[in-house]
Amino acid sequence: MTFLLRTVSRSAEGREIVRTARVEGDRLAIGRAPDSDVHLTDLAVALHHAVVERAGPRLGVRVETGLTVELNGRKCASGTIELGTGGDILIASHLLRFMPTPPEADEIQVAVERITEGEAKLDKSAERLFTLAPVMPGKRMLAWLLALLVLGIGLAWPIHAYYERQQRTERFARFQADEIWSSGHLSQAHAALQHDCSACHAKPFESVRDTACLACHTDIHGHADPFRLARARPDLGRWGRIQLAFKQAFNLPPGRCIDCHTEHQGDQRMAPPPQHFCSECHNDLHAKLPDTRLGNAGDFGRLHPQFQPLVVAGWRGDRPLLRRASLDLHPREDNGLKFPHALHLGASGGVAQMARTLGMGPAMACKDCHQANPDGVRFRPVEMERNCAMCHDLAFDSVGGTIRTLRHGDPAQVIADLRALYAGRTAPPPPSLSPFARRPPGTASTARERIQFSRGAGAPGAEAAIRAVFSPGGACYDCHRVEAPPPGSLAWRIAPVAFPTRYIGHGWFDHRAHATQSCTSCHAAGRSQSASDLLIPGIATCRTCHGGERTSKPVASTCAMCHDYHRDEGAPAMLIRQQVRGQRRAPALVPAAAAGAP
Amino acid sequence: MATGSIPRTTLGEGASHEGFLRHKGFRWLKIALFLCLAAGLAYILIDVQPRPSGGSWVGYTLGTLATLLILWLTMLGLRKRAMTRGRWSLKGWTSAHVYLGLSLIVIATLHTGFQFGWNVHTLAYALMMLVILSGIYGIVAYSILPEALSASRGEMTRPQMIDAVMKLDRQLQLGAQPLGHEDTAIVSASIAESPFKGGLLSRLSGRRPRCRTARALALLRPRLVAAVGPGGEALEAVVALLERKAAALARIRRHLRLKAQLEVWLYVHVPLTFALIAALAAHIVSVFFYW
Repeated sequence: MTFLLRTVSRSAEGREIVRTARVEGDRLAIGRAPDSDVHLTDLAVALHHAVVERAGPRLGVRVETGLTVELNGRKCASGTIELGTGGDILIASHLLRFMPTPPEADEIQVAVERITEGEAKLDKSAERLFTLAPVMPGKRMLAWLLALLVLGIGLAWPIHAYYERQQRTERFARFQADEIWSSGHLSQAHAALQHDCSACHAKPFESVRDTACLACHTDIHGHADPFRLARARPDLGRWGRIQLAFKQAFNLPPGRCIDCHTEHQGDQRMAPPPQHFCSECHNDLHAKLPDTRLGNAGDFGRLHPQFQPLVVAGWRGDRPLLRRASLDLHPREDNGLKFPHALHLGASGGVAQMARTLGMGPAMACKDCHQANPDGVRFRPVEMERNCAMCHDLAFDSVGGTIRTLRHGDPAQVIADLRALYAGRTAPPPPSLSPFARRPPGTASTARERIQFSRGAGAPGAEAAIRAVFSPGGACYDCHRVEAPPPGSLAWRIAPVAFPTRYIGHGWFDHRAHATQSCTSCHAAGRSQSASDLLIPGIATCRTCHGGERTSKPVASTCAMCHDYHRDEGAPAMLIRQQVRGQRRAPALVPAAAAGAP
Repeated sequence: MATGSIPRTTLGEGASHEGFLRHKGFRWLKIALFLCLAAGLAYILIDVQPRPSGGSWVGYTLGTLATLLILWLTMLGLRKRAMTRGRWSLKGWTSAHVYLGLSLIVIATLHTGFQFGWNVHTLAYALMMLVILSGIYGIVAYSILPEALSASRGEMTRPQMIDAVMKLDRQLQLGAQPLGHEDTAIVSASIAESPFKGGLLSRLSGRRPRCRTARALALLRPRLVAAVGPGGEALEAVVALLERKAAALARIRRHLRLKAQLEVWLYVHVPLTFALIAALAAHIVSVFFYW
């Protein structure tokens, strides 16, 4: 019995080197021990790893306790090899190949080979091993992965969301993928549209059109006749033409809502359009629209026409003729009243005395007659009964402690009441004792005493009393223009009284916003001797505090502070938004009196 | 051919080394600074209403400029594969790449108008900034590390470093023959372990917490005291070999660390560049989609 060992090794060039050895006997000891029949120099092999013993037509494989070999590819601790078919034993890195042998043969060939993996490769790929390539995913693969990921999230997902949106009609309350395209939060006014991009961006690759805005904003007008608007546009300079060419190239038609109203600027109120949107046309409007009645206006501080309030210019019968007139022309108001503001506001004299008696303070003040509307913007119309009668009372009789007064605003009733008072009386009173003689306004009680005295002195005639009340020195004549009746008649008439409900109709002025200022700092009432003085302050008065968009004055004022592009009446949208959100700026000006106080 | 001119001896570019940063007397630095200055002045002097943003004409101009720059900067990946000299040399190209890339910090930031949010536009900006930051790391790494990298080789080539370890492994294989089974297992583990084992972090730090060679040393060295006889001699030889192997491994790892630090930024710079181009495409398409 012989085992013929063929130990195969390879040279550096890969050439096979075969050494042969013969082992006599039936037993083949395999291990790392030098006395083994098959000496394997691999530290993974035990000193006495396994024994192969011939037993008739087969070989028995016995492995040392606790160790294993791979027998024909199967890990095991013992086993057999049929001589006829041969078999492989793998111990660590060594492969023992038992060649097929006829059972009666005396010699069994065994090939011993070291399976070397990796070692040779190490040398050739040394340079590559030192780079990061083996431990990192490839740059190219990373690049593709990241690029596809970004395209998927940033492009495909939102586009899918857009087309899905087209299939639905209900509003969107949750996040939609195309919101990641939003360049900034919508303004507070449009916050409800945050999830609904298509509300404005109706068609892909088409810029936002006015139809999207007008779908909700149905009650605004477009400022002026579109043709006049177009004519008023300033000529484009070279730069303007370049910009226009770009806009046309990129499908951005000019003159859209969003030209002025820019969105996606953050969670705040939409900024009022800056002044230049107005001044572009209005700066030199006369040149473009010669027939316009508007003065050129470019900046409140520099270029703005004088105010043109509505005034009662005259009368056609009982109808007032209202006309706008520039304050530069010093228009006078034919309102039908006689009222010297200076006399009433005087610090001394009869009026002041009366004010003290009535507990109004040292003298009369504006507020004693002029009371603000509930919104504080304007003032209630002055009414005789409410605002004048506390001094100018029309009492003429007392019956059992009840005072009778002449009815204001109804001359015929006054005449009838006086006739009734004097019915049955005969002797006319001396004119000096007439109760209706001109007198400084007094309390009701003094008036009554005089009436009672005059009654005791002798009953005056009704006709004389009526004539007296409508004549110079009479109660009506004091304040009103009286139209005398034809001779022989007593049909006295009072000229009608009228004021415009709003003097400045095309600009907004809010009195409450100016509450820090005294009335007379703007309205020259203290010097006004006549009711026909128009006490509307001119633009110079406003300009003491208000400048244009960029100014050193305390209040920078753009056009939008007083005017509204889309509306004619009411407060400008900018002020309404400020007020609704409580962002109204606190008046920055400190009253002169308060400023002096410590 | 002009006549009468005297041919001059010109010093070629190879006469003295001029790095890509100093190329042509900082020509591209000056151009980049001019670009930044122009963009800054445009941003400051042009009053865009209601506020500066990418959607104004200044914004579109800066955005277009930045996009063209990004695409051109990406072209370096193609250009670098053809090394040429002359006016448009690769060195000049790299110099322009560095300085124009840095100028993007200013140009693109002004393009945003400082409006940032959780959207695809800011994603593109963030990716661009990451690419630029990794590029800045790359410039710093390239100016500091190569010297240390050469020093760390200790006059050896890289295959030689590996070879040294492999030779020691073979000697260990022989030297450990007399050892018992348990000890050989410890030594085998050291031999089996590749010097290049370990991931990115291990390479960048140069540390290997569970190095089998270090473990083998830690286990076998204390036993030297008690070891006697032929077994003791073998153990002594094995420990000496393990110590030499540990030194060889340390050299490889130092070299690996420097090489990793030198290369790692490209694994950020290049893939993020492509992510940036994808984000840029999404950014531009989205702007026109919801125009």
